[in-house]
Amino acid sequence: MILAIFISHHALFAQRNSCIECHQELEDELLAPVETFQLDIHQQFGLSCVDCHGGNASEEDMDLAKDESFKGIPKRSQIPDFCASCHSDSSYMRHYNPSLRVDQLAIYWTSEHGQLFKKKDTRVAVCTDCHGTHGIQAATHPKSWTFPWNIPQTCSRCHSDKEYMKGYKIPTNQWEEYKESVHAHALFEKKDLSAPVCNDCHGNHGASPPEVTSIAYVCHQCHPSAGELFSQSPHKKAYDEMGISECEACHGNHKILPPSDEMLGTGERAVCIQCHEPDSEPYQIASRIKEKLDEFIEKIRHAENLLERADRQGVEVSEPKFRLTEANTALIFVRNLTHSFSLVEIEEKIEEGEKIVVEVTEAGENALREARFRKTGLIIATLFIFLLAIALFLKIKQIDRKTST
Amino acid sequence: MKRRNFINYFLGGSLVGTIIAFLYPIISFILPTKQTEAVIKKITAAKLGELAPNMSKIFKFGTSPGILINTPDGELRAFSAICTHLTCTIIYESDTGTILCPCHNGRFDLSGNVVSGPPPAPLESYNVEISGDDIIVSKKA
Repeated sequence: MILAIFISHHALFAQRNSCIECHQELEDELLAPVETFQLDIHQQFGLSCVDCHGGNASEEDMDLAKDESFKGIPKRSQIPDFCASCHSDSSYMRHYNPSLRVDQLAIYWTSEHGQLFKKKDTRVAVCTDCHGTHGIQAATHPKSWTFPWNIPQTCSRCHSDKEYMKGYKIPTNQWEEYKESVHAHALFEKKDLSAPVCNDCHGNHGASPPEVTSIAYVCHQCHPSAGELFSQSPHKKAYDEMGISECEACHGNHKILPPSDEMLGTGERAVCIQCHEPDSEPYQIASRIKEKLDEFIEKIRHAENLLERADRQGVEVSEPKFRLTEANTALIFVRNLTHSFSLVEIEEKIEEGEKIVVEVTEAGENALREARFRKTGLIIATLFIFLLAIALFLKIKQIDRKTST
Repeated sequence: MKRRNFINYFLGGSLVGTIIAFLYPIISFILPTKQTEAVIKKITAAKLGELAPNMSKIFKFGTSPGILINTPDGELRAFSAICTHLTCTIIYESDTGTILCPCHNGRFDLSGNVVSGPPPAPLESYNVEISGDDIIVSKKA
């Protein structure tokens, strides 16, 4: 009995967390850590206040709890090293998550934030600005500040704040622009978590603006074929010599709109005319590419229309419809091939696609001819049935008259 | 109402009804409205032994393409052959043992999961079963 009381008292004593006991009696910012820490990933792994802040949580008396090991709230200038004391220790981190990287601090020092931080600018982002303090979640948790669909807002807390960013001489409209982009649409509307957010292009712990020469490599991560085609094109050398950022020159950076065929050629919205003069050869090539593409699209649409009409009229057209998917594949391929700017290659691929479209168009026309034949046959048959019915009616009348006379 | 009038009305009404019933399907055929495409859920994609290991076949599943792959281990797997990026028809790349979208180099593994490139979602996978000499592919419930 005595032993049981001793053990239970000892267990209670060992589990005591006087930090929580005191702070939950407090208000506002002194209470907040208690509430948010319940959801914190560190708490879920069994860590407690003293693991970061030091002290002795088993002591009820505040003065005794804040013993010589007590660190309290780290200064902003101490935060990177404060977090790294565990997160850069591979043998320590291995106990909790062997796959988690332990080089965040080393990478941080290479980032724009880290570089400025080293120059005593403590206004730049440190660990807690992106991860939070007591409510830190794993990056895979949808409520984490570093979960893909939360990252743009996490970054924009500072980067969209004109007052805060004053002095850094960089734009503050990235978030506004990103919101209109095809990437934001994929992320927020389609919930596509593979869509790039700030850190996919700028890095996370090593965040820096990609340089002019490396932008294509960044885009290349998700758009490898467009990147390869561009790199093999004559534009690559010209862009490099002129210091033009590759993909960005035509597609923009944060506000990357869905690409459209209007970007090609020499029309009002064409990007080619940004550099090429009307009399130049490249201008003529751009015009020709657009012309060929438009013709190809028109032919596909015509074939589609024929098949749809035939289908609606009850003719079986699943086979040509299936074939048409190959023509659509060719069209998408050609659109990507425009990054090569090679009229010859584009024309070759369009020709391949057009052969399919010709077959499909013929099948569609045959199907419509068949539908017309069926309709005509039905109309003629119906007319004959009506005539027969009228003739029968008249005959019966005639027989009736004869019988009555 | 007299009995004779009633019979006349009855006969007249029946005649009009019969004419409408006769003309309606004819008019519907001549002036059709848009129909929804019949959904095909099951199809014979190939014959047993038609595909050697590490080979594939694009087959017609309704009006859409499907792909049947005999993996290097001899396991049959089938997916929608429509890339989840921009709907190009994908192909099986036997030297890498992966599925490739030739339009933008999107790559999928043999479970249909995205390996690299722009596709935002895995390929739709189908059930494969063998019935006699036929390889039957069906949509998952």
